Amino acid sequence: MSRFKEIEKFQAPPQGGYQLLPFRFTALEPEVYVATNLAGEYHLLRSDALCALVHHELSPRSADFIDLRAKHFVTDSRSNVSTDLLALKVRTRYRTLAEFTALHIFVVTLRCEHSCPYCQVSRQTQDRAAFDMTRETADKALNFVFRSPSTNIKIEFQGGEPLLNFEIIQYIVTAAEQRNLSKRRNLRFVIATNLAEATEDILRFCADHSIDISTSLDGPQDLHNQNRPRPGRNSHQKAVEGISLARRVVGRDRVSALMTTTAKSLDRVKDIIDEYVRLEFPGIFLRPLSPYGFAVKTNAIAAYSVVRWLEFYKEGLEYILHLNRLNIPFREFYASVILRKMLTSEPSGFVDLVSPAGIGIKAIVYNYDGVVYASDESRMLAEMGDMTFRLGQLATDTYEQVMLCDNLLGPIEASMTTSVPMCDECAFEPYCGADPVYHHAVYGDVVGRKPESAFCARNMGIFRYLITKMRDEPTTKQLFMRWANS
Amino acid sequence: MSVNRQLEIDLEAFGLDSIKRAAYRFSDRFAFDIALAGTTAHCTLIFPESDSSSSIDAKIAAFRKELLDQDLRSSIRAETEHVRNLILAEAFSRTGLVSDEPLQGD
Repeated sequence: MSRFKEIEKFQAPPQGGYQLLPFRFTALEPEVYVATNLAGEYHLLRSDALCALVHHELSPRSADFIDLRAKHFVTDSRSNVSTDLLALKVRTRYRTLAEFTALHIFVVTLRCEHSCPYCQVSRQTQDRAAFDMTRETADKALNFVFRSPSTNIKIEFQGGEPLLNFEIIQYIVTAAEQRNLSKRRNLRFVIATNLAEATEDILRFCADHSIDISTSLDGPQDLHNQNRPRPGRNSHQKAVEGISLARRVVGRDRVSALMTTTAKSLDRVKDIIDEYVRLEFPGIFLRPLSPYGFAVKTNAIAAYSVVRWLEFYKEGLEYILHLNRLNIPFREFYASVILRKMLTSEPSGFVDLVSPAGIGIKAIVYNYDGVVYASDESRMLAEMGDMTFRLGQLATDTYEQVMLCDNLLGPIEASMTTSVPMCDECAFEPYCGADPVYHHAVYGDVVGRKPESAFCARNMGIFRYLITKMRDEPTTKQLFMRWANS
Repeated sequence: MSVNRQLEIDLEAFGLDSIKRAAYRFSDRFAFDIALAGTTAHCTLIFPESDSSSSIDAKIAAFRKELLDQDLRSSIRAETEHVRNLILAEAFSRTGLVSDEPLQGD
């Protein structure tokens, strides 16, 4: 006699039918829907199966039902731990909320020797007194940094070109390390620099204090130099030399690069990726222009639509997949962030793609003049005269006044995707974000009307594309799973 | 100038909330008016003059399909409201983010 029960025993319909667990759905194609549960797990099903599921007519023996039960879309008499498991996954997903502000951006100067047309804030001036952060302001900002309960603290130096005020960077790093002897946080530093002013001495300090370097690289020489003019027209040469020097002095893994997509970039995505491969970067972040500052003034934003940007993005991703098939490991970082949300329960650290919005509570900006902003984009809006996301002044306001001000709490509460029209029922909500600063900047309202939102169109386009790729190409899904889990 | 098309929807078949949600989702394609009379919602769909007749027909067909989707979503919301609250309460029960004390003014 067998020690196991017959297979029919396990295939028998459960007693009492099944109950639905919370889920959302959105059309992927005319007859195919994406359904997602509270934890962000997704399942594709045809429209007739969706109707049958909701009307409790889906066969418990169907492949859809078996998958949906395993992914906690339904529960029955044989799966009574579903709600507990789902709660655990939801808790994991939101666990960084309690951590509070982890990224603290110090704008140490607005001075810069570049004159990039898409830059929001830089000044071509030698006037250090007018546009550099002082020690007094830095000390007050550090008081705010260590008020955050976050176990992980990252201090990012931005500008302008922050290396033009390297003395204050040295001061802040040393002071933060001193304070951290008693605070005992996981303290990290990063400098966002064009590397044109980098010297071996500067980079030696970075190496000694484990400071990461994030530089700008817009593509091959001609494109990069068009996008990023500077005296001598040698921005690309300076960047490449700086990357090489930084890798040698600070360490290969501590140097990364970011690109910005201008209208001139749109037909050059393969050239841009090839340049990153040539310089031996492990991946690229294909990111669009922000609709702020000089990018708007110079009409660079209007130069391309979200539809055109999506074409650029998809062409780039297809090329990256092609490179991987040629055994050249390379990834796209925005897709990796989204895939992590789609394929794991782990929270994403990416500030622009979270709800509640990450402004203030995940990242905060201390400007050179002591003004505190809710995000990097918020200070760019302020440069255009829009103070909506100005949170306070380090010289006069307390931490409580800044973190509890209406300019911060109002937009966060109003823009939560779980209660925003259309977002609340969208299957892609677990992967998306609120981004009230973008919607305020473009539509004059922190929520925006989603049918007309370019943010919504751009991200929905990417979500649909990634899910379709994983359905149609098993090897691509395997690659995406590696991107999501590393 | 605009092009108006009328649509009558039986409120015993579709809830008013479902109709409004579907209309919002299509708000980039047409404006929308509702007048209620008994169990019928008299809807006016207002299209830009530049829309062709075939384009308008396609949008109305897509809108009708969206109504069906919204009806399903309404069923899911109603059936899962209790368990949704239970799961979220359980998920945040040990985070320290949710207080058991009633908020002031409750």
